[in-house]
Amino acid sequence: MTEAAVRTHALLKRFGPQMAVAGVDLVVPAGSFAGLVGPNGAGKTTTLSMITGLLRPDGGAAEVAGYNVWADPVQVKARIGVLPEGLRLFERLSGRELLIYNGRLRGLPRAEVQRRAEELLHVMGLSDAADKLVVDYSTGMRKKIGLAAALLHNPAVLFLDEPFEGVDPVSANTLTEVLRRYTASGSTVVFSSHVMDLVERLCDWVSVMSGGHIVAQGTLDDVRAGRTLNQAFLDLVGGPSGTDGDGLSWLGAPQ
Amino acid sequence: MTPTPTDPTPTDPTPARSTPADPTPADPTPVDPTPVDPTSPKPTPARPTPVVPLPAKPLPREPIRPFTLFAALKLRLIGGNLRGAVDRKLGFVFTLLAALFVATVSFLSLLALRLAPPDVAADLGTVLFTAFLIGWAVVPLLAFGLDDTLDPARLSLFPLTTRQLAIGLFASSATGAWPLTTLIALFGALAGLARSLPAALTGLVAVPLMFALCLVTSRLVTTALSGLLRSRRGRDLLAVAAIALVLLFQLPNIIVNRGLDDPAALLRGAAGFLRWTPPGMTAEAISTGNPLWLLPVALTVAVVGYLWIKVLGRALVTPDSSTQAAASVRASSGLLDRLLPDGPLAAVVYKEVRYLRRDPRFRVSWLVAVVVTGALAFSMSGDGAGPALVIGLSILGAIMIGAQLSNLFGIDGRSLWMNAVVFAQERDFRTDIRGRHLAAALIALPLLAALALAIGLFTGNPAAVLPALLTAWGVLGLALGAGAITSTLIPYTVPERMNAFTGAAPGQGGQAFLGSMGSMMAVVLLALPLALPVVLGFHWLAALMLPYGLAATLLGQHLAAKLARLRLPEILAAVSRPT
Repeated sequence: MTEAAVRTHALLKRFGPQMAVAGVDLVVPAGSFAGLVGPNGAGKTTTLSMITGLLRPDGGAAEVAGYNVWADPVQVKARIGVLPEGLRLFERLSGRELLIYNGRLRGLPRAEVQRRAEELLHVMGLSDAADKLVVDYSTGMRKKIGLAAALLHNPAVLFLDEPFEGVDPVSANTLTEVLRRYTASGSTVVFSSHVMDLVERLCDWVSVMSGGHIVAQGTLDDVRAGRTLNQAFLDLVGGPSGTDGDGLSWLGAPQ
Repeated sequence: MTPTPTDPTPTDPTPARSTPADPTPADPTPVDPTPVDPTSPKPTPARPTPVVPLPAKPLPREPIRPFTLFAALKLRLIGGNLRGAVDRKLGFVFTLLAALFVATVSFLSLLALRLAPPDVAADLGTVLFTAFLIGWAVVPLLAFGLDDTLDPARLSLFPLTTRQLAIGLFASSATGAWPLTTLIALFGALAGLARSLPAALTGLVAVPLMFALCLVTSRLVTTALSGLLRSRRGRDLLAVAAIALVLLFQLPNIIVNRGLDDPAALLRGAAGFLRWTPPGMTAEAISTGNPLWLLPVALTVAVVGYLWIKVLGRALVTPDSSTQAAASVRASSGLLDRLLPDGPLAAVVYKEVRYLRRDPRFRVSWLVAVVVTGALAFSMSGDGAGPALVIGLSILGAIMIGAQLSNLFGIDGRSLWMNAVVFAQERDFRTDIRGRHLAAALIALPLLAALALAIGLFTGNPAAVLPALLTAWGVLGLALGAGAITSTLIPYTVPERMNAFTGAAPGQGGQAFLGSMGSMMAVVLLALPLALPVVLGFHWLAALMLPYGLAATLLGQHLAAKLARLRLPEILAAVSRPT
């Protein structure tokens, strides 16, 4: 694990008075299945947006596969696939049209795009819905078609923001199977989540964010250090001290 | 059926009402207006003694006063909406000023009915009252979603009886600047129409009755259609139906311009018919001073109110149609797509052509441009319409269609990231803009040709068709060039769901105005040196308009691509605002 697929130096983003990302040094070794975990508002989405070239950082640098994201976007954008938060897709295209649009926009020949699109639709279990408009898709279907679009050009690094949020177990299983196959061939996945069980099950590399900083980073075993990942996360982030005390005495009392 | 406000210990309705989370639409009487379970209040003796000592008797519950509660909720929502953002405060101030202006003007002009002869005043009152009612039925439909208290589904989990809910929603829709404006206008009508003491006294009953009729009708219409409005197809449909409204606004213009022979006869005819509708009867009651006219109106209010409560009860437990299975689209590959060489340009055209066909926002804005130009042509083509009119109106059509293209990335909105993660070089952006222009031209060029031909033939100036067509195409080229630059300099979010009153996300109205006005001004200035001589009669100059427009388009694409590469994150942020 000498070469880093993703590396940031003191990445910084400020929204008005609020420091969303306060000097993040993220490292993801090539070929790893990496989880970016943190509580809501930790800066995960902002960090991923800056690494994928969607949001201009206020300071610091980001590199993907050795190329600076903001100085050399041509090299970076050819190598990454992205599934951002919020399922924002071209809603008025059908699933198949969305894939074809994406592939051809990247300059892949039409015949090849069509072949890959059919295969991806089949693997994702979307063949029946391929001609329905994306606007009518369910959350799980959107995540799957979004992942298919992100994989279509065979990127070296895949960035997924909350890919399993709101996805039913069957669709989640499909997503994980596809991602496992993808990383087995040496490609890198970086995904953000706050579902610790899932991260523990899938990832071999974990970066923990809190309050705009990386508070722990390393292999899964290093970060959890004998605890469950959930406990390690709570210890790092600092959860509340429990719910006992004076409040809520009426809760559960007879009405 | 519901605890009266004076009842000190109302039974607890919570357990019996906690089922709406699992609606059973097959049930013929899903919302029971008497929700209290006969077995409740349930004794719960088996509970272990809690650690913390508790008051022995159940807490006394305050009776709910839905009218004041919901009116207060509405005021609080208006207040909460104002916290923070300056532009929203400005918007609110603007709304207040507009409402004040409308209230003053309508009060005074209705008061001015006193100056008209009694029979004309009565006829006008009848027509105006009908217009009020139609306005109340139609406008909230187009603005649905602007008001949080309007969607009853949000309230369905609260332990409210249907009657409380109905009173509450009635109160919330009666609270606000526009209802107050309506009330003021109605009192203006009372002052203008009543010519005797009995008439004034009748009016004091008639005005609140009319107000209630407006509110109840508006509630019935929105509630009955709320399922439709929450589904994608329903909203698409309604967006296109909004064009009918635009046409409606043009109607007086057309009638006046066509010089209708006898407006008084038209008014008499309309009033003679409308007198027998509930709003007409209300006006009639005020002008004649005969309170008997109000009986059918009161009956109507009661019936509409009853229907509304019934529909409301049903709507709360019916799943909205957005869960229904969606239809497939044709998987076709367009002709243009096959003609273009395979590559990113073809991909952009592929996507844009589908969007032009499927996105109601495109259909709305294009149709509005055509309808308005057509209506103007129809109303202005009186006697003596020369070639100048044909050319002028064709240019106007080109400017209006071109104005739709001054925010190219806006309709992509939050999905623009899909392009943003691909585009890295200036060439990519140029391809994107060029593809969008090509797709738009595919529709705009034949449309403008048809428009020029129609106006030319309609006004009897077939010789003017060719110069008009060439000039219009040239002006469209200028608009494409200018629009490409405003698209990158002043991008803004186009709301997912279009209505007749908002063209931009909250707070971006300024950008939308600046963008479309800026590009329109640029087009007019650029077009003047060539287009004005063409309008004035130098028709051969029209031949120069086409290369001129094409050059402007190419230059615009070139500059816009340079800007877009530098400003990509900013454009993305500007078109991804929440709406």
